[in-house]
Amino acid sequence: MVKLNKNQNFSLYFKYALRDLTRSYNKILSIIITLFISLFILSSIMTIEDSLENELNENAKLLLGGDIEIDYNNREGDQTKIDKITKFATVSQMVEFSTMISTVNKKINKTSFTRVKSVDQFYPLYGNAFYEPNDALEKLNQIESSILVNENIFKNLNLKINDIVKVQDKEFKVIGIVKVLPDIGGAFVFGDFALTGKKTLDKLDLNTLGSFLNYEYKVKFNKSVNSKEGIKRVESLFKDQNRVRLRYPENSAGGIRRIVDNFSQFLSLVSISAMLIAGIGIANTLLSFINQKNSSIAVQKAIGVFSGNIKTIYYLQLAILLVLITVFSYGLSFFLIPIVDKYISDGLGLNIEASFSFLNLIIVFLVGMLVMIIFSIPTVNSIDQVKASNLFRNVFQSLQFNYSVKSVIISIVLLIILISLFAIRSSIPFYSVAYFVSFFICLLIFYYLSVTIIYLLKKYKNSKISVKIAVKNITQSKSITPITIMSLGLGMTLLLTLTFVGSNFKREISKSIPEIAPDYFFLGIQNDQREKFEKMIFNSDNKSKIEVVPMVSAGLVKINGIDPNSYIKNTNDSYWVIMNDRRISWSDEIPKDNPLTQGSWWDLSSPDKLQISLDSKVAQDFGVKIGDIFTLNIYGREIDGEVVNFRLVDYRDLSINFAMLLNPQFANKIPHEYLSTVKFNNIDKFDGINFLDEFPSVSIVKISDYLKKVTDVLNKVFIAVIIISTVTVIIGLVVISSAIIVQGKIKTFQNLVFKILGFSKKEIIYSSLIEFIITFFSIILFSTIFSIVSSKFIIENIFQLKWLFEFDIFLNVTITVGLVTMILIVFTNLKYLSPKVYPLVRNE
Amino acid sequence: MNLNYNTDNNLINVLQDVSFEVDYKETISVVGESGSGKTSLIMLIGGLEKASSGKIEFKDFEISSLKEDEISEIRRKDIGIVFQSCYLIPNYTAIENVSLALEINKIKDPINKAKEILDKFGLGNRLNNLPSQLSGGEQQRVAIARSIVMKPELILADEPTGNLDSENSELISNILFDYVKEENASLIMVTHDNKLANLSKRIIKIKDGKIE
Repeated sequence: MVKLNKNQNFSLYFKYALRDLTRSYNKILSIIITLFISLFILSSIMTIEDSLENELNENAKLLLGGDIEIDYNNREGDQTKIDKITKFATVSQMVEFSTMISTVNKKINKTSFTRVKSVDQFYPLYGNAFYEPNDALEKLNQIESSILVNENIFKNLNLKINDIVKVQDKEFKVIGIVKVLPDIGGAFVFGDFALTGKKTLDKLDLNTLGSFLNYEYKVKFNKSVNSKEGIKRVESLFKDQNRVRLRYPENSAGGIRRIVDNFSQFLSLVSISAMLIAGIGIANTLLSFINQKNSSIAVQKAIGVFSGNIKTIYYLQLAILLVLITVFSYGLSFFLIPIVDKYISDGLGLNIEASFSFLNLIIVFLVGMLVMIIFSIPTVNSIDQVKASNLFRNVFQSLQFNYSVKSVIISIVLLIILISLFAIRSSIPFYSVAYFVSFFICLLIFYYLSVTIIYLLKKYKNSKISVKIAVKNITQSKSITPITIMSLGLGMTLLLTLTFVGSNFKREISKSIPEIAPDYFFLGIQNDQREKFEKMIFNSDNKSKIEVVPMVSAGLVKINGIDPNSYIKNTNDSYWVIMNDRRISWSDEIPKDNPLTQGSWWDLSSPDKLQISLDSKVAQDFGVKIGDIFTLNIYGREIDGEVVNFRLVDYRDLSINFAMLLNPQFANKIPHEYLSTVKFNNIDKFDGINFLDEFPSVSIVKISDYLKKVTDVLNKVFIAVIIISTVTVIIGLVVISSAIIVQGKIKTFQNLVFKILGFSKKEIIYSSLIEFIITFFSIILFSTIFSIVSSKFIIENIFQLKWLFEFDIFLNVTITVGLVTMILIVFTNLKYLSPKVYPLVRNE
Repeated sequence: MNLNYNTDNNLINVLQDVSFEVDYKETISVVGESGSGKTSLIMLIGGLEKASSGKIEFKDFEISSLKEDEISEIRRKDIGIVFQSCYLIPNYTAIENVSLALEINKIKDPINKAKEILDKFGLGNRLNNLPSQLSGGEQQRVAIARSIVMKPELILADEPTGNLDSENSELISNILFDYVKEENASLIMVTHDNKLANLSKRIIKIKDGKIE
């Protein structure tokens, strides 16, 4: 038997696939729409992420501010070593500190807690800073007591160029506005900031604790020195210096990188949800498409085309569609970059440009292909059910999804590849896998929900004809109930979950936390100022609640003799405890809101021995046990202390909480200052300007200002997240409307019979509404349960905040989606309401 | 050969002990009442159904023992089927419907060959029309053109003129019988039309699944 060479025939099948597609694309419009929306979202996320990564990588030295950074923390650098480096590099010294800036001679004087960067004449070593006026930076090091402030301070303090501001008790002239700084990798990303010259620093009475002082030395190697070689030389100079941290370009902007990674991981998962929901629609629409081609397929079989070749033609159509949509959606995602650039440059000071990535294009295609194949295998396999002999009888049975053992195995394998693809690319693979598992559990539950509804309704008896029709529509063998429940159910679950998470988060930040949180933090109160400070606060408002605690800065350098940085990864939840020096305190009594979870409070019989009380979460994250030894570096001296107990620390109330507390008998001997929180009975009675006149070196942090900033950022994030998750509902609706259209012929026949029997349009619409109400309310019930469970878990376990069911938000979301769904269903059904008898009788 | 169906514990004998041979150039009409098994017979011969027992031999092949793809390969080249309803592919033009049969057989210049046969059937001016734009007779001529364009040695026709008026019926029967004569092919045709049946060399009458 002569067999045709399959490879030779490829071009022929391709030609047929292309011909079929160009002539029938309108019948698979919903596939094109849903596939486009989901691939566009995925492409956009990947393009934005890639552009941001490129910006961060290409400008790594710029963001770090040098080829390498030497961080001396709160001590001035060793000048001998710095001098050695200047032999082969330019070194720019920079001191960052937090302080108060306040206006003088204004009608109403205002204050602002500001991070100040004191720079020398070499700043910036890489990139450009933008100022107004242009020569402001040059003047900064020429004019003594001058300062540049960022646009926000300039606006909030109602400043003008050459205005005088007070920093501590010294006056400074505002000589310009800082627009953009190249090295935004550190704390300068979100807060207010200002620049001063190096000379100015000496005028200020800075203390090492309350001002969060930080000495940094940025190094740019001379042209003759190779980067690697230069780094080696610097490393060799600091190899035995535990307290000095070296930062490299690849570590720059770690915070931004983490935000980008986490946010894009989350959005990628939302986009793949949209794509999987689209997959349900693809399977359904494709089955209907193949059903419409039933006789054509039978003819092809009758003239000798193999079933496998016909399937190839359909797979090729999908492949052509996928290639075109992938290229189009990926290309279109580039147009989003200027919009995102505007958003990001305002918030982060980064400027991104669209950059083509072949790998991303392939990944988008691959994801689309995997989803498409997984959902089209049982559909395309239904071609095997078409018999050429049907042509003799002129009877064509509707095709059904065709699951064979082989196709199920292939689908599972492809699904595992899809999950792995997302998991490998994500920063925390476990979360991706957990998300997929939850998604498929929800999908299964929604499927079985539809089966249960159909089963129960089949047993339900009602004499009202509209109810009977509605029940029949839901329970008939080709009803759209399973597809509606699965696609809308998943979309609603995601939307409600994110809405609950967002609304709870916002409520906690904007209402609950301010209610329990103090109004102000006061940093850097010296020993001799404590009494005067408390007196002043009481004088302003005698009903205010003050909490004053001692504070010292210490670094956790060893755990049981081993550097924790050598085995604790920066993805660890408690990494912040070892990342830099932490402020620690001490207390005689167990803090009221920090109950002991393990161990016992201080052993008073050993006052000369350092004892440590540790946050139980940190202990768990680091694998620390009672009796373990921590080596703390306090003012350059390493002291060993024993971990004697664990406390449950609740950081949510923004009151004074420390990861580590020391036994006061030992710690009181350490030079220290005080940190205070104050909750006023009447906040208006406190005059910040007056306070700063008395305590110029103390910094004031107004909690509400920070919460407002956080709420503003959260609002933007919340809007972005809701828009993207709404896409899943939109895709769900497209899937439903396409399912209704697929049902069109059956509906038309059914409505025709109703018409002949004398039903009014009103009764048919009424039955549609009953059908919608039964289905939609079941969806809402289950989506609500799933979203309550998942959002409660996220809010309480991940964010450790209080979760509340917000009925009004729930009502708004469900009514909006419900109305849109109902309008869509009625609108899509409308054309089937008035069937013309003639074409149906003629069997056209 | 025999063909049986099982439905709800009932065994239906569609064809029983049917046996006959067809020579080259022979034309056979299969006649009988509705439900007698005529269509089933040509479905078996075309390899579109499997016989419950017995053998169907075509040239050197035993069709009943071949796999589906192997039968498809035979149908491609050597068996042309004409249906009562034309079953043209609705979104293919007349010429595309015909060239489909040539292209899957890798015949060179399929478009011109399809054009040639359609011209011969008087459809030269309807080449690029979709089936919905053709009359019933024109559709059936396109369908026959598609069935015989590969010059098959056997034509199976199921009521080829069943849906046509007398003028078109005559036209179609002329095409089929002329083809058999010109190409030395064989024709097995199911028909209720006595006039058409009488044009065949042999008439096989089937009653209750048996040849009378």
